[in-house]
Amino acid sequence: MTTEEATTEAPAPRSRLALGALLAQFGLVVIIVAFWVFFSSQASGFLSPFNLFNIGRDLAIDIIIGFSQMVVLATGGMSLAVGAIGVCAVMMAGYLMQTLGLPVWLSVIGALALGAALGWLNGFAIVRTGINAFIITLASANLFSGAMLILTKAVPFNALPPEIGAFGRMKIGFVSPLLVTALVLGVVLFILFRYTTLGRQLLAAGANPRAAAMSGVPVGRIIISAHILSGLLAAIAGLLLVTRLGAAMPSVGGNDWLLPSFLGPVIGGTLLSGGSVSVVGTVLGALLVTTIRSGLLVLQIGSFWLDFFLGVILLLAVLVDRYRGLYAERIRGAR
Amino acid sequence: MNPLRRLAMTEWSGLAAAIVIGGLVLSLLAPNFLTEFNIYVMLRSFCVSLLVGFAQMVTLGVGQMNLSVGALGGLVAICFGGMMEVLGVPLPVAVIAAVILGAAGGLINGVLTERTGINGFIITLATASAFTGINFGITRSIPFYKMPPALVAFGEERISAFPYLLVAPLIVAALLGLFFARTVPGRRLLAVGGNPNAADLSGISRGRSIILAHTLSGTLAGIAAILAVAQLGSAQPTIGADWLLLSFAAPIIGGAALTGGYISVLGTMFAVVLIALIENGMVLAKVDPYWVQFLLGALILAAVWLNRWRAVRTGTA
Repeated sequence: MTTEEATTEAPAPRSRLALGALLAQFGLVVIIVAFWVFFSSQASGFLSPFNLFNIGRDLAIDIIIGFSQMVVLATGGMSLAVGAIGVCAVMMAGYLMQTLGLPVWLSVIGALALGAALGWLNGFAIVRTGINAFIITLASANLFSGAMLILTKAVPFNALPPEIGAFGRMKIGFVSPLLVTALVLGVVLFILFRYTTLGRQLLAAGANPRAAAMSGVPVGRIIISAHILSGLLAAIAGLLLVTRLGAAMPSVGGNDWLLPSFLGPVIGGTLLSGGSVSVVGTVLGALLVTTIRSGLLVLQIGSFWLDFFLGVILLLAVLVDRYRGLYAERIRGAR
Repeated sequence: MNPLRRLAMTEWSGLAAAIVIGGLVLSLLAPNFLTEFNIYVMLRSFCVSLLVGFAQMVTLGVGQMNLSVGALGGLVAICFGGMMEVLGVPLPVAVIAAVILGAAGGLINGVLTERTGINGFIITLATASAFTGINFGITRSIPFYKMPPALVAFGEERISAFPYLLVAPLIVAALLGLFFARTVPGRRLLAVGGNPNAADLSGISRGRSIILAHTLSGTLAGIAAILAVAQLGSAQPTIGADWLLLSFAAPIIGGAALTGGYISVLGTMFAVVLIALIENGMVLAKVDPYWVQFLLGALILAAVWLNRWRAVRTGTA
C-alpha cells in the first residue's frame, strides 16, 4: 500500500501534482457551493447572519482539529489521541482559571503547554519504541482521558471568568474571532510547510523516511516535532471550544473528534501515506463537514443521520482520490 | 519450530501468571471475589468481550484493522432487536439474519479495502461512521425493549457459576483455533498477513484472504452483538460504542503481531480473562470506573512494548 502510493507519487513532476491538487480543491469548492445553494433554497434560515456566525464558530474548531491530524499525517503517522489531548487541555485551562484563579493568559499558556507535552509523549513513545503510531496513540488516548477523568472526577468547570464566554460570543460583522484564529493558524501552517526547513523536513520524513535520513534529516526528532505541533493544535481547538461553551466540560473531545480530525485532511487531499499536505484542502474539507452538519440541523433532519452522511462522504472522498491517482498513473503509463 | 513454540509458551505463561496472581490477591483482599455469583458475573462479561476481541484478532491476522467492529455490532444489535420487536420475526430466524447482516457488513469492508487498495484504517473509519449513522437514524437512540423470553433466559440463566451464554464464545474459540491451525483458508490468511509478497508469489490470493478476514470479523462482531442483546435483555443502540479499545486490547495483550501473520486464540482468551479480572477488581475495590480505561491503555502499551522487546531479543539471539 505504502510502496504503491510512493511509486505513484515519486516520478510525477511537481507542477502536475500541484495541478491535480488544485483540480481536486476546485471540485471540493463546487460541491460545497452546491450544498450551500441546496440548503439555502430549502431553509431560509441557513443564510441568516445568526446561522452564518454559528457555522463560522463550528468551522473554526473543525479546521483546527483537522490541522492537528494533518501535521501528523504529513509525516506518515497518525494520532488517535487528538481528542484526548484536546479535552485534557480543556480541563487544564478550567482548573487553572477556576480552582487556582490564575489570570486567563497564564491559564492559556498552561493548557497549550500541556497539549504540547502530551504530544511530545506520543512522539517520543513512537520514535523510541518503533511501534506503529496507531496503537501507541490508541493506548495513550485512553491513558490521557482516563487520567483526566480520575483527576477531575468528570466534574466540569462552570465558573470561568466572564471574558471567556464573551470572547466566544464576540462578533466582527458576522464573523467570529474564533474563525479568524483558525484562518491565521492556517496561514502560519501554510508558510511552515511551504517555506521553512522544519516544514520541508516534516514532508520529507513522511514521503520517504529512509531517503530523508540519508539526506541528513533527523527523522526521529522531526516526527516528535510533528506530534508536539499536533498536541498544541489540539489544545488550541480545545481552548476555542471552552470559549464557545463558556465552560470546561470533560465530555468534549475524546472519540468525538476522531472522525472530524481525519475528514478534513483526507477530503482535502492529504495523503495517509505521508509526504503531502494541503492546508487549503483541510480548510475546505472542514467547511464541507460543517456545512453538512449545519444544513441537516436547519432542515431538521437532526443529528441522527449525520454520522451516516459523514461516513459516506469520507468513503467517496477516498475513492475519488484513489481513482484520480490511478487515472493519472494510466495517463503517465501511456505516454 | 522449537524456539517459536517456546516463545508462545512464555507469552501465555506470563498472562496466566498475571491472572493467577491477580486472582489470589483479589480473593485475599475481597471476600466477595470467590462467591459463585461474582464468578458468574465475571464469566458473563467475559462472553461478549471475547467475541469482540476475536473480531479484531482475525483482521489483525491478515495485517489489517477494523475500526468498525463496535459500530457494526451496534447496527446488528438494533436490527436483531428490531426484527423481533417490530416485525415479529421468530428468534432463530432473527439470529441467523443478524449473523448474516454482520457478515455482510464485514464483506463490504473487505471488498472496499481490497478493490480500492486504500488503507483499511480509513475505509473502516468511514464505514464505522456510516453504520453508526444508520443505527441512530433508525432508532433515534430509542432501544428495543421487548425481547423474546427465551433469549432473555439464555442471557441470564446459569448452572452454578457457569452462564449459558458462555457456550457460544467457547464454541467460537474452538472453531477459530481449528480454522487458523488446521484449515487451508486459515493458514493462507496468516501467510498473507505475515508476508503479503511471499504469499502472492506462492499463488495465494491476497485479496480473497483480506475479504475473508473482514467478513469473518463482521460475523464475529454480529455474534458478539447477539450475545450483548441477550445479556442486557434489550437491544440498546449504544451497544458497541465502547468496543474499540477492548477489541484491540484483547488480541494485542494476547500476543498478536500488529504487522499481521501471528495471532493467538488462547492468548486472546487469557487477555480477556485478565481484563475481566481487572474490571471486577475495580468494582470490588469501589475505585472510579475511569481507572479501567487508564489501566487498559497502560496494559496495551506494556504489551506492545514487551512483544517488541521479545521480537528484538529473539531476532538478535
